[in-house]
Amino acid sequence: MNQRTRRLLLALTPALAAPLIVMAVAPATTAASTGWVRLAHLSPDTPSVDVYLYSFGDPDAELTLKHVGYGAVSPYQQVAAGRYTVAMRGAGADPDSPPVISTNVELTGGDALTVAGMGRTASLTIKVLEDSLSAPAGEATVRVVQASLQEPVVDVSAGAESLASGLHFPDVTAYSPVDPGSSTVRASGTADDASLPVELAARSTHTIVVLDGKSSGIRLMELTDASGSSSTPVGGVNTGLGGTAPGATDAGWLARAGWIASAVAAFGLIALIRRARSSTAERA
Amino acid sequence: MILALVLAGTAGCGTGGPVAAPARAPVRPGVAEPAVLRIPSLGVDTRLERLGLDKAGALQPPADPQEAGWFAAGPAPGDIGPAVIAGHVDSKHGPAVFYRLARLHAGDRIFVERSDGTTVVFRVRSVETYPKAAFPTAEVYGPTPEAALRLITCGGRFDRSRQSYEDNVVAYAAVEA
Repeated sequence: MNQRTRRLLLALTPALAAPLIVMAVAPATTAASTGWVRLAHLSPDTPSVDVYLYSFGDPDAELTLKHVGYGAVSPYQQVAAGRYTVAMRGAGADPDSPPVISTNVELTGGDALTVAGMGRTASLTIKVLEDSLSAPAGEATVRVVQASLQEPVVDVSAGAESLASGLHFPDVTAYSPVDPGSSTVRASGTADDASLPVELAARSTHTIVVLDGKSSGIRLMELTDASGSSSTPVGGVNTGLGGTAPGATDAGWLARAGWIASAVAAFGLIALIRRARSSTAERA
Repeated sequence: MILALVLAGTAGCGTGGPVAAPARAPVRPGVAEPAVLRIPSLGVDTRLERLGLDKAGALQPPADPQEAGWFAAGPAPGDIGPAVIAGHVDSKHGPAVFYRLARLHAGDRIFVERSDGTTVVFRVRSVETYPKAAFPTAEVYGPTPEAALRLITCGGRFDRSRQSYEDNVVAYAAVEA
């Protein structure tokens, strides 16, 4: 644990007093449906953390991400719908130690959530963002997460379309529809700006994250939240012609195989009889 | 000689009639197109053709029953979203490329080799059978937040009057983390 993390943990001592997980026995999840969760670290002045996802009431973590630094976002994990606890500890901290911060998350089947540590360290919160999985036909949708302290207020656009105006740290916009295709996202603050080429397929949804630059200024990160097919076929698929179905009219491969097997058997039998006869003849 | 007979018996596969060439779908951004599908647990190793929609808007089945095809207007395997690959369960004469698809099990691995030489690996999550009349369009083609793969073939009873199987078998898979 480095000095910053230690200071961070000390600063958050009141939070540590809260028990990590309520150990009450939660009813088992009976719903068969699943959803998706991804975890993110979007707090610029918070050092790396270990992130734990617990099924509510289960002390064994379902998912653990170690040394998650600022700007890191995990891939989506498919998990059972239900209630979860997300906890963050300083990177390398004992998994049994009290977390720096934790929160409960309710995941509905079919939904996707981004669970992100956001805000300044001093007021660090875990935000649960509901991710949109579908865009209207012929459109893509984009939202913006403002996670930069270098430029705490930004304007963001995709091509000619404005996505956010005067967006404050650490706010998140709703999804807005944009024309699909290649585009460039631009963010500008008072002293710096950044741009990022993006491919926005029709029927896809995206999150643009405004981050502090590696050394100074700002940078942009694009996350594809979900994508579908730009056109959707009607109904099922005719991928069978009946050649293996019972009573195939075309004499069928089974019948053919049976005929071949009979032929082989007959030849074999004839050969055996001949051999038997010849050996009988030799002995005689 | 007998081997030749067997091969002639199963490989001389007709198709369901004239099939129009699939319309070339607009190129989607992202990963390279799929070229080859391999499913070691089923012994499947097939080139992939591009599939489009027929005049009625249905997914066109592959022209060759011994090859599977990729729905080219959808995501490419490995890209975010539901990539769809369809293949015949049988031809008019015998088993086709996805004859054993219904025997896939959760956890089985699926390999897709792409045109740029890279390979993406999926794991089967579930295998379901649906009446074609109640095909779950949203579940199969609907948006997903991960790189997903759906393999589709026919199943159930063969309706001779319609020359069509009554069910579709769908194997759901997701990219291996």
